[in-house]
Amino acid sequence: MSSTTLAILVLCAAGLLIAVAVAWPLLLREDPTAALRADREALAADRTRDVEEALERSLAAIREIDTDHRAGNLSDEDFAALDRAERARAAELLRQRDAAAGG
Amino acid sequence: MSLFGRAVLLLALGLAVYALVMALASRRPGRRAWQLSAERGVYGVAVFTTLAMIGMWIAFITDDFSLRNVAEYTSTTLPLEYKLTAVWGSQAGSLLLWMWIFGIFAAVAVYLNRHRNRELMPVVVATLMAVAIFFLLLLSFVTSPFETLAVIPEEGRGLNPQLQNFYMQIHPPTLYLGYVGLSIPFAFAIAALVTRRLDTAWITSIRRWTIFSWLFLGIGILLGAKWAYETLGWGGYWAWDPVENAAFMPWLVATAFLHSVMVQERRGMLKIWNMVLVVLTFVLCLFGTFLTRSGIIQSVHAFGESTLGPFFLGFIVLVAAVSFGLIISRLDALRSQNSLESYISREAVFLFNNLLLLALAFAVFWGTMFPVLTETVQGERIVVGQGFYNQVAAPIGIALLVLTGVGPLIPWRKASPAQLRRRFVAPVAITAIAAVPLLLLTDLSQHWVAGLTILAGVFVAACVLGEFWRGANVRHAVGGVSWPGAVVSMIGRNRRRYGGYIVHLGIVVLFIGFAGSKGFATEADRVIPRGGSAEVAGYTFVNLGSERTVTPHVTTTGVRLDVLSDGGRVTTMTPGIQQFTVDDVRGSKVAIDSSIRRDLYVVLTRIEPGGEAMVSIYVNPLVLWLWIAGFIITAGGIVAAWPARALPRAATAAEPAGTARAT
Repeated sequence: MSSTTLAILVLCAAGLLIAVAVAWPLLLREDPTAALRADREALAADRTRDVEEALERSLAAIREIDTDHRAGNLSDEDFAALDRAERARAAELLRQRDAAAGG
Repeated sequence: MSLFGRAVLLLALGLAVYALVMALASRRPGRRAWQLSAERGVYGVAVFTTLAMIGMWIAFITDDFSLRNVAEYTSTTLPLEYKLTAVWGSQAGSLLLWMWIFGIFAAVAVYLNRHRNRELMPVVVATLMAVAIFFLLLLSFVTSPFETLAVIPEEGRGLNPQLQNFYMQIHPPTLYLGYVGLSIPFAFAIAALVTRRLDTAWITSIRRWTIFSWLFLGIGILLGAKWAYETLGWGGYWAWDPVENAAFMPWLVATAFLHSVMVQERRGMLKIWNMVLVVLTFVLCLFGTFLTRSGIIQSVHAFGESTLGPFFLGFIVLVAAVSFGLIISRLDALRSQNSLESYISREAVFLFNNLLLLALAFAVFWGTMFPVLTETVQGERIVVGQGFYNQVAAPIGIALLVLTGVGPLIPWRKASPAQLRRRFVAPVAITAIAAVPLLLLTDLSQHWVAGLTILAGVFVAACVLGEFWRGANVRHAVGGVSWPGAVVSMIGRNRRRYGGYIVHLGIVVLFIGFAGSKGFATEADRVIPRGGSAEVAGYTFVNLGSERTVTPHVTTTGVRLDVLSDGGRVTTMTPGIQQFTVDDVRGSKVAIDSSIRRDLYVVLTRIEPGGEAMVSIYVNPLVLWLWIAGFIITAGGIVAAWPARALPRAATAAEPAGTARAT
């Protein structure tokens, strides 16, 4: 087999496979109602994930503030103010997460 | 191969257009299948560009001189390792490499977000594909790497000897990993602006991409410096060359973004600023690619004259106009949730750091473009010398270095004066104690820039190591673990923070390398007869005679020099002159002897038949520390980007089946 023939074969095979793969989701003809529901679920999951990631960041911030205080980087007064604000934020995020989990 | 290459690039182009249209159409509710089809289009673009790259490699390996790209950049005698990397020695080949990496990155970004960011991803895909279309249009219709020659030569012209170097093999791909990687944060920023989802979700999705790209851009710049040092034979590694500057500018702005994004995450501030930085970084990446290819600047790193300039300029203007237009239209939604409470706070330090980085980026931009501006306005090209850059960069660099140590010690929101005194007394005392022997026993006092840099380095190291000490102390006391365990646990609990500190230590080492090599270098030209010797900076170089090595590819004539110091033998060095078989091109083979104190760097400029050698000798202190700094910064970047353990998740009714976490 010549290299030109091989190149054409590779090209045709890759082109065909990719064309089928790209068109496949459209050929499945999903029920419009189910598609809308899946979309809503995906958006809700994104919102929940965003809250969880914000919560992770907030809890990490609380740990960091605590470590900084113990290490002497923060005075008692600064620590109290920062810790109170961050815990309030974490509590709000926890409430949002639990509300989302409750449905 | 030409037909195959052109066909796969055209297929990639068609698929990119399809993916862009489908992605935008999939924004309407209920069109998840359209989005899926668009995403598969992105994977297809990656497959086709990979096939194009493989085709190009095969053409180089098989010496297919029917292709202009192959005939002009390789030869039958070129070793295989260089044939593989000669692909990106040309304008068109390097654009193909750019596009290939971009295709892979776009596919990876889409894959990692396949179950998340339903609102953002269609716009992300559309933005990425718009960039892909631009590059594929260039590769298909303006500068094709698969262009054929009317007359096929029997032998290729070979690869420029300066490019036949290990660091030049890996420097372009590494740099492109950075350049191209920064297009992913840009795509997410555009998506956040278009969809008005301007909270921190888009930032979470790009955090690791940004660190990864910043890291590779930095490593790429260092590898370029190492290549220049080993190959160009002028004894230095950085000359504020326009192409070096082209990579340095986006790196500076990306550094600013990495810091200011923390302020947005922690305090809900600087949202507009962050958007501007992301857009500016990407625009500067394109600008760097433009500078290297337009022919408007003269550089050892640049490709020759080409027709690409106007296309790049048009695309840069389009990207900037659309992006800044979007930012302006979303100003109401980008308002900060908090304001700066005190100028003595971490967010204020980050802001100062940002302003300094941007000022330096602007100065570098000005210096780079000044010759072009003067040529346009006055008709005469006035080149800005290294003196301008050094004068501007030295004070800004030292101020930035100091902030590297100050930032970690100042808390968010505000710091009390008493707290500041407690935190800074030890680092200032250590710096003062170190200053005494450094200023009295060395030449530092006569080189104020180098002196200040090294003292600032001591201060920052004291600040950062103090942070490690205090953090480990807390873990040791609270966790009841051993000291090594405390350090590991401390880093593991806050990888981003301590990874950042490791990077800061790497920056200190880098600056010490700069200070030593820029401030205390010795340079001398000597003629050494066979059996004779010459002395430079306390080292004696003895000419032991010449030697000649011949391979089918290159003939090297070298001179063996014994190096003695304090009566003892240090090393033997063999600098040489290379004569390449193809095209009879000449090159220098620089001899370098590295140690932690200094580099001995010798270039053979001429050798007489009787063995008399004319050499340029450089003694460059602390250069090795620059490369060591690269490893430290890489290690810190990996620690900072390493994924943290996720919290146990609440069971959510809304979660669709089969979703996965990914960033």
